[in-house]
Amino acid sequence: MVKKDLSIKFLGVNFPNPFCLSSSPVGNDYDMCKKAYDVGWGGVVFKTIGPKSYVINEVSPRFDAVTKEAEPFVGFKNMEQIAEHSLEENLRDLARLKKEYPNQVLIASIMGNSEETWEDLARKVTEAGADMIEMNLSCPQMTSHAMGSDVGTNPELCKKYCQAVKRGSKLPMMAKMTPNITDMVPVAKACLEGGADGIAAINTIKSICNIDLDKKIGLPIVNGKSSISGYSGKAVKPVALRFIQQMRVAMPKLEISGIGGIETWEDAAEFILVGARTLQVTTAIMQYGYRIVEDMKNGLMHYMEEQHVNHLEELVGKANKNIIPAEELDRDYIVYPSIDDNKCVGCGRCYISCYDGAHQAMEWNEEKRRPTCNHDKCVGCHLCALVCPVGAISKGEIVLKKTAKPGRNIKDIRL
Amino acid sequence: MSKKYTDEYEVGYNPRLVMEEAARCLLCHDAPCSLSCPAGTDPAKFIRSVRFRNFKGAAETVRVNNILGAICARVCPTERYCQQGCSRSGIDKPIDIGRIQRFVTDFEDATKMKVLEAKPSVGKKVAVVGSGPSGLSVAANLALSGVEVTIFEKEARAGGYLRNGIPEYRLPNEIVDKEIARIKKLGVKIETSHPVESLDSLKKEFDAVVVAVGMSKGKMLPMFDGKRNVKIAVDFLKMVKRKKGEVKLPDNILVVGGGDVAMDVVTTLKLLGVKQVTDVVYETFEEFKASKKELQGAQEQGVTIIDGYVPVSVKGKTVKFAHRNIQSELKIKADMIILAVGQYTEAAMLGLEVNKKQEVVEDNYKVKDNVFVVGDIAHGEKTVVYGVRSGKEVAALVKKSLGVK
Repeated sequence: MVKKDLSIKFLGVNFPNPFCLSSSPVGNDYDMCKKAYDVGWGGVVFKTIGPKSYVINEVSPRFDAVTKEAEPFVGFKNMEQIAEHSLEENLRDLARLKKEYPNQVLIASIMGNSEETWEDLARKVTEAGADMIEMNLSCPQMTSHAMGSDVGTNPELCKKYCQAVKRGSKLPMMAKMTPNITDMVPVAKACLEGGADGIAAINTIKSICNIDLDKKIGLPIVNGKSSISGYSGKAVKPVALRFIQQMRVAMPKLEISGIGGIETWEDAAEFILVGARTLQVTTAIMQYGYRIVEDMKNGLMHYMEEQHVNHLEELVGKANKNIIPAEELDRDYIVYPSIDDNKCVGCGRCYISCYDGAHQAMEWNEEKRRPTCNHDKCVGCHLCALVCPVGAISKGEIVLKKTAKPGRNIKDIRL
Repeated sequence: MSKKYTDEYEVGYNPRLVMEEAARCLLCHDAPCSLSCPAGTDPAKFIRSVRFRNFKGAAETVRVNNILGAICARVCPTERYCQQGCSRSGIDKPIDIGRIQRFVTDFEDATKMKVLEAKPSVGKKVAVVGSGPSGLSVAANLALSGVEVTIFEKEARAGGYLRNGIPEYRLPNEIVDKEIARIKKLGVKIETSHPVESLDSLKKEFDAVVVAVGMSKGKMLPMFDGKRNVKIAVDFLKMVKRKKGEVKLPDNILVVGGGDVAMDVVTTLKLLGVKQVTDVVYETFEEFKASKKELQGAQEQGVTIIDGYVPVSVKGKTVKFAHRNIQSELKIKADMIILAVGQYTEAAMLGLEVNKKQEVVEDNYKVKDNVFVVGDIAHGEKTVVYGVRSGKEVAALVKKSLGVK
């Protein structure tokens, strides 16, 4: 049985493990958060608490999913806004959770609609006993344009609200970013200038998942209409990793809570490697339940063991320096595919994809039902390896291009 | 009605499960499955349509290529044909092509698709004798080209072995009815309760005659002839199907034979609640003739199968068997004996020359001027899908000889 220390410090707070519920339907009240803690989540970001004056009135139904073949959730669409319960109920739940789970981290997510309400909410959740504050500057489906992602794309407004929160509370605070923006860095910087201690990224992506083809209405249908709203789940992971990488490059010491399509320990490890210190999850919980944390924790421990690492800390941001601008990549060589005829089942998919989607380098022996690669045509793109269903195609011979810089040695190339 | 017998044994896919199975398909280049379907149903194409969520397109592919698509989906021994070459076998197990085809044809039915349309009449008339799979196939393929086809069927209802032989749990008559209704919509006339005793009048009235009488008679072994409680498999299956499984049977039944018909008989007996069903088979398991799927089905039902024995004598209710290769004798006492030891054709009654294999002497399906044979009595394998294939081939030959495009 593997046993590794998964604890990590984030914004000065010690997390027993990096896995947290993100602010969403999965952390809606005391009972839900209690169950999550009991199952082993390291922290909870309680569903965003809004100002007393802002009344939440949700639609029915409110979710949709993008599917592929038999995969029910490739991506997930959600129309819920922020906590529906009264401010008093939410504060009471926070206090009770902190009292009963002093060693697990309780993060209050808040969203004001003015400097006063931001400051007031920060004060109230601090009094209720939260360990940390997350500012929700990014929900894309609010019914008010003074709230959510409309705020999160405006660096000035973000800075002002961060300052307001800091006036209301001395707790460590992270600002949650919207991905509905070309460059997240200016907003993140503005938040840090306003007093934020770290960043949470990403919130959901504005989306339309599906259109009902008969009714000609987006899904889900609410009395004959639908709206654009936030997209999450596995499909958004690449977008999240990219934003986190870009922020880490601009601000190498930035502490980040990573969010976006985390479902397995491998996803978690990827977020850590691009610089996340804690991880937040919703969609996978909605689909599979809180229990998924068991395999995320255990899998991450095994990974740590394989990597000969005793503290998660050692893995944070380890991939940052290996992700560089495209113009700096080595363009001097080609690596040809190597085909294992014994593994090959003769489906010919590499042949089809190479012909129709690449450079017609794969040749097909009709009788033997086996491909061979013509190096005169092959550019080494490895589309063939990606479509092969049995992993029969790997990286083979490396050759230097005629245009390679003089003095290059193949032995120095790392694949 | 006996529900176990009348309900389809294999559960069909729902849209989610069919996607799951289609997603397993490797979508091969020059796909081996399509190369090995005798009827040219083109599974690679319809599975790809399913994979890209074009269920209607999939249904078109099946129907255009295989006039009995919904029937083949249920009864075809796919492990011998399309699934045999499946590349997915190199990873785990072949794609369940039959079941995907069943989903597709059920979808076609549920959405009331009309895929095929016959050309206007070209003024040529063809008679088909027999309405089994090959007769239906040749008739439909001719009708599509505008030939006026009349099928003559001796039974009160069309379908031949599809209706009278293959048990309800494998092929419900409702499916047979629907396939025949589709063929009738193409303009094919079916004269039921109309036995044909001679081809002469047909030859006069029609431009061509196609004989598709199949091998509808079950063989009797001389030692069993005239004995009480001995039944012939095809007659037994017909009786059970007609009565929808409402039959009274003894508790201990012996079946002799190891082909697909024998498997249908033993499985039917178990589904009807017969306690002890013993099947003695001439072939050893290595040489087994029945489809593996049907053999497996019989074994799952708890049939006792003994391989490699030939019957040598009968005394009262007891049959003595001897092993073909080793010194071994076997005595089995049973209350009923059902013989599934092969079939023969009555084509000779129509003046056709029949060889030892019970096939009509023919040259590429042609017997003489404008008389053709098709299906089990012609050369080739004796399966429904082969009937569909030879029906297509004979339709093309008939068209050529009548100058129809």
